[in-house]
Amino acid sequence: MKPVPFEYERPHSLKAACQLLADDEDAVIIAGGQTLIPMLAMRLARPSRLVDISRIDGLSGIEEQTDNITVGCMTRHAEVERSPVIASHVPLLSAAMPWVGHAPIRVRGTIGGSIANADPSAEVPLVLVTLDGTITLSNATGSRTIPARSFFSGPMMTEIQPGECLTAADFPVWQHSRTGIGFREIAKRHGDFAMVAASAQVSVDATGKCIACAIGIGGVTDTPLALPELASSLVGTAFTDQSVHDAAKAATDNLSAMSDPQTSPEYRKRAATKLIADALMAARNDALETSEGVTT
Amino acid sequence: MTEAPTSFRYVSKPRRTQEDRRFVTGKGHFVADIVPDNTLHVALVPSQEPAARIISIDKSAALALPGVHDVITGDELAAAVEPMMNGLDTPAVKRYAMAVDRIRYCGEWVAAVVADTRAIAEDAAELVELETEPSDFILDAEEAYRPDSLAVHEAHGSNILLDRTFTWGPVEQHFSESARELSFRVTWGRSSTVPIETFGVLASWDGWRDTLDVWASIQMPKYADQIARALRIPMNTVRVHQDVDVGGSYGVKRGIKHTVLAGYISRKLNRPIRLIEDRLENMRAGDAHGPDRIFDISIAYEDDGRIRSMKMRALDNAGAYAGRAPFQLGKPIGAIVGPYTIESVEYQAISVTTNKAAQEAVRGFGQAPTNYAIETALDRVAAAVGLDRVQIRRRNYIPSDQFPYLIPSGTSYDSGDYQTVTDKVMTQVGWDDLVRQRDALRADGQLAGIGIAACLEPSGGNSSFEPLLNPANTTTTWMDSCRIMVDGAGTVTATIHTTSSGQGHQTLTATIIGEVLEIDPDQIRVIHADSQTSLPSNSPVGSRMAVMLGGAAFNAAGKLKDKLKRIAAKQFGASPDEVVYSEGTFATADGDQSLGWMDVVTIAHRYFHLLPDGEQPGLEVTDVYQVPTGGGLPTEDGRVQMYPCHSFEFHCVLLSFDPILAKPEIHRYVIGHDCGTVINPHIVKGMTLGGIAHGIGAALFEEFTYDDQGQMNAQTLADYLLPSSHEIPAVEIVHHCTPSPFTVLGQKGSGESGYLGAPAAISGAVNDALAPLGITVDKLPIRTAALSDRIAAAANTQS
Repeated sequence: MKPVPFEYERPHSLKAACQLLADDEDAVIIAGGQTLIPMLAMRLARPSRLVDISRIDGLSGIEEQTDNITVGCMTRHAEVERSPVIASHVPLLSAAMPWVGHAPIRVRGTIGGSIANADPSAEVPLVLVTLDGTITLSNATGSRTIPARSFFSGPMMTEIQPGECLTAADFPVWQHSRTGIGFREIAKRHGDFAMVAASAQVSVDATGKCIACAIGIGGVTDTPLALPELASSLVGTAFTDQSVHDAAKAATDNLSAMSDPQTSPEYRKRAATKLIADALMAARNDALETSEGVTT
Repeated sequence: MTEAPTSFRYVSKPRRTQEDRRFVTGKGHFVADIVPDNTLHVALVPSQEPAARIISIDKSAALALPGVHDVITGDELAAAVEPMMNGLDTPAVKRYAMAVDRIRYCGEWVAAVVADTRAIAEDAAELVELETEPSDFILDAEEAYRPDSLAVHEAHGSNILLDRTFTWGPVEQHFSESARELSFRVTWGRSSTVPIETFGVLASWDGWRDTLDVWASIQMPKYADQIARALRIPMNTVRVHQDVDVGGSYGVKRGIKHTVLAGYISRKLNRPIRLIEDRLENMRAGDAHGPDRIFDISIAYEDDGRIRSMKMRALDNAGAYAGRAPFQLGKPIGAIVGPYTIESVEYQAISVTTNKAAQEAVRGFGQAPTNYAIETALDRVAAAVGLDRVQIRRRNYIPSDQFPYLIPSGTSYDSGDYQTVTDKVMTQVGWDDLVRQRDALRADGQLAGIGIAACLEPSGGNSSFEPLLNPANTTTTWMDSCRIMVDGAGTVTATIHTTSSGQGHQTLTATIIGEVLEIDPDQIRVIHADSQTSLPSNSPVGSRMAVMLGGAAFNAAGKLKDKLKRIAAKQFGASPDEVVYSEGTFATADGDQSLGWMDVVTIAHRYFHLLPDGEQPGLEVTDVYQVPTGGGLPTEDGRVQMYPCHSFEFHCVLLSFDPILAKPEIHRYVIGHDCGTVINPHIVKGMTLGGIAHGIGAALFEEFTYDDQGQMNAQTLADYLLPSSHEIPAVEIVHHCTPSPFTVLGQKGSGESGYLGAPAAISGAVNDALAPLGITVDKLPIRTAALSDRIAAAANTQS
């Protein structure tokens, strides 16, 4: 478990980092290293060069915008997990954080790394697609912003182009006063990759009727998957256990679920149906209990 | 022999263990901490196929890489060393450290690269070009057992390493007499002990001193002999440094092949050679997987649930080579009826080779799978006669007034009080409340179940299964030893003669010597002799060290005390019988004369003129202790006294799971445990808690699985699921003490406690949870998705 030989660079500017990436298509970024280091050790990743972005100013931090929260790519999971700004504005992300690996992994692992790695079962990408957030990609000459829902193209595959560095993710903030969240996950052991994860955010009006809804699943298909049709079908309704279950069942019926040596696709679909329904009901109940709302 | 004290000064007291100090401060000294100057590093080239003929191995590109010193292949090694030893008389099942001509499992070593660093060695390993011709392979044990199956070792002629049927008692008569019969099959998946520290060895040949120095994470002292034999060098040239801390073992740390390879390279290149398995090497080719076993059970019983007779067929998948694996079918013969009065048993033990990694000894040496089969039988009989699962066990227990109790297979159980331990657990758990809690969970939509397991931990460790399964082997000696020295300054040093892999041998030895000599155990130093200066010893296997090292230490301390008394008696002009010893002081019965510890020690070391006639100077005693009740050969019909002592454990667990998600959550875990006299309560508690965690792993998580191409799926700790603290519940331990009449302090073993019953208890709980659905799960581990799939299939069938 020793990596193949590689070069190592630690640039001090984003531009320099992107230039290094542009100049060498076998170069990869190292941020927290929680996926890359084991991949290197097992020689599954064989990059020519590691570009360490940990000493570049401005890539870490949590920033409040008008309608969203910007999280810099080098922000550690542990910082997000403890952040009062995230807790009050993007509580779904807070709820997902304890499910990301184990505590020592969250101390090193970064938000940008988790998104760029594009593991279909990862929690941060799931929350981002659920909330319909955006991702900022930079290269040596400028930057572009794309919706998270079109960023993930397959397992461990994204729209990042050669010479680009993922620099930030924007998580939308809902303004409805009565908003609740639900996050559910089943993994083989605590801290393992999700076999299925479901994240939901629901807003209700004064009568308890759903006025906004977002739902997504991870670990089931080859990318984190938002279910906007399911979400919109529930807007305007009063949730019941049966209606939510039926809607969840309909949403998962035709999914092409992944399998692994220990997990059948059928299991993933059954569990997804249940966890979608559970997450939605939890979000709705959470919203009903909220009088002041989760936003400022 | 000194009389055992009736009350204890240090034994059974919750004293801090001596070893903890160095481990918790990070001062353990493991094989990977030892790197002499000029050390070269080894990386292995693994086979990619489960079965193939080796056509050629091109080492030129690897050898051309700067920093590479050599590339060794199986051919070169086989020409220079003897094959490794087999436990059974199967000489055609030849095994070397690396594949010779034929590859027999995926991951098997085909070449070893020696380089300045491990990283360079791995780089070069990728450059070794292997040309092979893949051939058919076989993974399934039933298939391997068929007479027409492809033989993994062609020269052996079949895959069968062992196929013997024992009949102990009138089995057929009992079956025909009994009112009822039932049969079932259960399967124990291939799991193991997977220590954090992989196997590692550093071998260094010194031609000027004719010494091969070996530091290794090895668990047993019967190691130097195997190295010497394979390398064709005298055993007294091999020096194994047994003071290396071993980071966990429970059976598997037996890297003979690693050591033969490293020793060969060291002698060839005249350099220290370090071979430390990485996780991949450990998982796929450390040859350290455990039992992989199918049980077919038939039970003859009466309407009231009394079990008369049992037929057990155990088919074990040993993997590609033999080693000691088949013996794991032999040890359970010593407790083949569990704690029950089953009157007769037919036992067919089958071990076959397949194209999986070779098997090694694992905690319990086959007893945990066997207990799982027996306990499943008890649950099935309970269900059949409509009796509570605790009651069925109580009804079949050996009564406490019938010990020593001779079981059909020839072992006499030493002592036990199973009803009382069960009573204590029932009280602790609050049985009626537990049932209510289960039913409340069920009412809440969960599948909830209670699991029960009652089982024995044969302990004291003996070799009886060797002559039983291999008539060419008539070994009946299975000793352990202790030497005690008191130096001229009066301090006490005890020497033990094997490595320790976390069992607390140091604490054990010091506690017992301290008890006998009435000296604070923390003042007694315990050291490990190297193999050249060791007394005869066997392995810390079979839960034996409390019994065996404890027995040797007790006897040695008694001999030392006797000698000190003789010296004191001479000064008093009294007979040794008249000398009273207390806390370091020797006195006459009337108290008129007395001598202190240092007075007597000084006479022994310096004043020959004051020694009794014929007394040797100095203070050094040894005891080489044969296993109690051991020494007999098996009878013709295969009856033999296996282990001397039999600890008892009774598990009670409540768990529940959602019918769709199917991830069991353990709500309550209570174990009643009786290992006789406890030497150190912390050590016994640690063993029991760790054993339960290990058992939960075997029951719910851990398995070395292979795909249909013969590739191992679980090569890392991301796929081989060891339970973590998140998966292990709080465990309540209820103690009971039924001393063994056969041991010096009444102690029995506890090194396998918890593990021997936990898998059965967890399986029982899951099956109790499934009972309302009318289905069972019959294979361990019970994995989440597979369990859910089973439930869903049952629901589909019903609808």
